[in-house]
Amino acid sequence: MAATMLPAVAAVTRPAISALQHQQQENRIRKTDGPAAQSVCSSSTKLSTGWRLEEIGTCCRNAVKNSSSSSASVYVSSTQQQKGRRGLATWATLTDAPVESEQEKVGDVLLEVRGLCAVVEATGKEILRGVDLTIHQGEVHAIMGKNGSGKSTLSKVLVGHPDYVVTAGTAVYKGENLFDKEPEERSHAGLFLSFQSPVEIPGVSNMDFLRMACNARRSSLGLPELGPLEFYGFLSPKLAALNMDPSFLDRNVNEGFSGGEKKRNEILQLAVLEADMAILDEIDSGLDVDALRDVASAVNGLRKSDNAVLMITHYQRLLDYIKPTYVHIMEAGRIIKTGDSSLALQLEAGGYQALKDSA
Amino acid sequence: MAALSAIAMVGNASLGSPSNCSAVLSPPCNVSAEKQRRFSRSRCFFPFVASVLETKNEAEKYRKDKTRSVLNNRRRPSITSVVTNLSWCSTSSAAEIGGRRHGAYAQGASLRDQAEASSVSLVSPSTPDLFLLDLASKIEDSLAEGDDLGNDVLARLREEATEATLGCRWPTNKDEAYRFTDVKFLKLANIVPVNSSSESSFNPESLNLPESEGSRLVFIDGVLSKTLSRVDNLPEGVIVGSISSIPQEAVRKFVLPRLSGVAERSQRDVFACLNGVGARDLVVVIVPAGVKVTKPLYVLYYSSSQGSPSSSSSVASSENSSYALSNPRLLVTVGKDSELDFVEDFSGAPESLYWSNSVCEIEIHERGRVGHSYVQEQSRHAVHIRQTYVSQVEASSYKLVEAVFGGRLSRHNLHIQQLGPDTVTEMSTFLLAGRKQLHDLHSKLVLDHPRGISRQLHKCIVSDSSGHGVFDGNVRVNRLAQQTDAGQLSRNLLLAPRATVNVKPNLQIIANDVKCSHGAAISDLEEEQLFYFRARGIDAMTARSALVFSFGAEVLQKLEGAGLRKRVESLVKNSLAEEGYMNPELAVTI
Ligand SMILES: Nc1ncnc2c1ncn2[C@@H]1O[C@H](COP(=O)(O)OP(=O)(O)OP(=O)(O)O)[C@@H](O)[C@H]1O
Ligand SMILES: [Mg+2]
Repeated sequence: MAATMLPAVAAVTRPAISALQHQQQENRIRKTDGPAAQSVCSSSTKLSTGWRLEEIGTCCRNAVKNSSSSSASVYVSSTQQQKGRRGLATWATLTDAPVESEQEKVGDVLLEVRGLCAVVEATGKEILRGVDLTIHQGEVHAIMGKNGSGKSTLSKVLVGHPDYVVTAGTAVYKGENLFDKEPEERSHAGLFLSFQSPVEIPGVSNMDFLRMACNARRSSLGLPELGPLEFYGFLSPKLAALNMDPSFLDRNVNEGFSGGEKKRNEILQLAVLEADMAILDEIDSGLDVDALRDVASAVNGLRKSDNAVLMITHYQRLLDYIKPTYVHIMEAGRIIKTGDSSLALQLEAGGYQALKDSA
Repeated sequence: MAALSAIAMVGNASLGSPSNCSAVLSPPCNVSAEKQRRFSRSRCFFPFVASVLETKNEAEKYRKDKTRSVLNNRRRPSITSVVTNLSWCSTSSAAEIGGRRHGAYAQGASLRDQAEASSVSLVSPSTPDLFLLDLASKIEDSLAEGDDLGNDVLARLREEATEATLGCRWPTNKDEAYRFTDVKFLKLANIVPVNSSSESSFNPESLNLPESEGSRLVFIDGVLSKTLSRVDNLPEGVIVGSISSIPQEAVRKFVLPRLSGVAERSQRDVFACLNGVGARDLVVVIVPAGVKVTKPLYVLYYSSSQGSPSSSSSVASSENSSYALSNPRLLVTVGKDSELDFVEDFSGAPESLYWSNSVCEIEIHERGRVGHSYVQEQSRHAVHIRQTYVSQVEASSYKLVEAVFGGRLSRHNLHIQQLGPDTVTEMSTFLLAGRKQLHDLHSKLVLDHPRGISRQLHKCIVSDSSGHGVFDGNVRVNRLAQQTDAGQLSRNLLLAPRATVNVKPNLQIIANDVKCSHGAAISDLEEEQLFYFRARGIDAMTARSALVFSFGAEVLQKLEGAGLRKRVESLVKNSLAEEGYMNPELAVTI
């Protein structure tokens, strides 16, 4: 972790202090609930904004993010010994004048996962063992990791899949506790998962399904439902953007779809639901070159300053199209390493072992 | 994984080595759902089913198989142990099944034959069935008094059928074929054969029939109505009409050969025989060689209100209730390289007691293709009994889509005989059994020639505690039927506590180079599908409704004609809504 964490001396101090502050706040939160948790979010947001101004490598911000976990405190105490005072001074000046650059603006925290542990309900087998992840508006995150490391499980736990039970940790989405919500409420709040293997639903036409989903979201927002014709009007441009043949609408949901067609169909649903936090589990697997370009440009087309994307992928290829702000490496149910897009290149070149050796 | 689907057994049989071994795979399954509330989970019945399997090995294999897609048709190495379980899986307890597995069914196929042969008929002239004789003579008398529908061919048909009837007896639950299907109540009821026309009392427009551009045949109480039928826009050469109205030459060429042997084909089925005795008409559809009928032919069967009304409490006491009996009969012949799509729609006067006892014979010649949609929406108190005989010559194709909703009792005996190689046969059935309804499908496909392909999908929803579904699906792959590719799947959805199905999909394989799979599942809704809906923001209640609806829609989507599908859609929605399983406004379509 340390290797990617110290691009500049000045940078070190900030996480140190913020981490300390976090540590204190954390302690408070443990005792209280709810509102206090939100105050943590907002303070970390502010800090991150400051970091950008100092043009410190993005990886450092991750120290802020990780600060609430127990390992962070060890790191903090050592850095503070060296650079504590100077850091404090910098901190003071910055908080006085938090200037935001137009392009490099970092949005509010959208999703913050802390120490998330989850087991398979049926067997009790632990899959997630303390996942930490913070996603801000406007960001693109990528999670990579070996088969079976828990990437899909993380994404399914976040959307409330009944196969898993959360045993520890929190997930705060848009300032609210995600795990208090039913799966459909999470969807209404704008959370979306493109499944690694979408299920087939014989007997339900894609058109009916999309319209039901769209209208469910609209009624949750207090908007009137769309009739069949209106909905078709709403849908057509989205179909076109994905280069999808309208005949897909008459077919049953995912039934007999090829691997690539299923992925396109997932992204079509994303487009229809206009989600704010899109988790895309291996949308690149099974796609041919053209399909990958279509899907990636559709995803890019949906990006806005106030939404975010979390991609799970095995290959650099997807990241060439959808540029990640951060790349995380997952192993055995934890995120063990975080960096910028160079991490993925490193991985592509040397595999997971090389990545570990360099750490 | 907490999957809700219980695939009771998946059998994949493939006998790769040349051996004389015959295998009867009969996935035992069954079950009455004891659910605490609607939409609640039904537990899997794995341990219980495993006890039926002969060996630990089988159980093990089954466990591995249970999650696999049922129709995956994988070739498997030869199965050396013969699984012989011909017993039905009974609804109530594991003990009963466990006990029966040691039963007398060790010899599989041959015993099966025996069971089949003894099932309905039991020819024992020494003990004539008085009720049946009484009924047959009542039918004869009514014909003599009724409209004059005299015709030589019909007379011959009746004669032959009367003779066959003498050798039959009324089935009881001791007959394998009627073990779960009670027809005793008809013995207690008053049966009144309809012998007069009530054409005027019926307006087909009142049924809100789908707009059909094709031709239309309308049976009223078993007799073709000339005024309501419309057969003018058929391709040249196609002959459609009552036996008395079609050219003598066509009768000689197409009808007479088919007439003899009616009794054999029906395997002396008592209801088929009664149909022959009481047939007031024989309607014929002949598509000569090389003719393609592009628009579907719509055949409507209407039972008028000549029985007693069913709305009052009189239904409860069956002695007073009288069922108006009609015996429609249809013969369809499709020549070489010809094509025909036709829809059969069974309907009737609402709130009225009737018994529709129909027979349909379908002959498909070389490379002929028949698409057959069958919709049964008779009154909830009606009795619907039906025999369908299909014979398929070389390279012909027959696709049946069946949707069954109405009737207190509905029973369909479907018999398909392969007469040449390279045939394609598809049977898709959806049955919805609600309050006090029993729906029964007995299908039998006999393959005697190489390279046949067959697919059967049987789906049944039982939506009420007093509802009951019965399925016996037999596919027989005989010695010469090498390289057969046969798949069979039965899926059953029990929505209410004590709802019952008895299903017995079974493959008998005597050929040794075949690819066959079959399976049966008693399930609740699929958890993974339910979650997919919820993950897209659709609440659990709506998702369940949609999934219950889609369970049937998978089959109903194959019905011929958008208008028909639309009508069936509202039928399904209304009957599911009536029992509280879905909101009829739900935006799902077929
Ligand atoms: N419902 C479940 N029941 C049992 N085991 C499960 C279940 N879900 C996940 N697992 C196990 O948890 C581990 C992580 O699975 P997961 O699907 O999250 O991996 P992944 O990182 O997405 O892998 P891949 O790259 O192959 O998609 C695997 O060992 C998997 O077998
Ligand atoms: Mg995965």
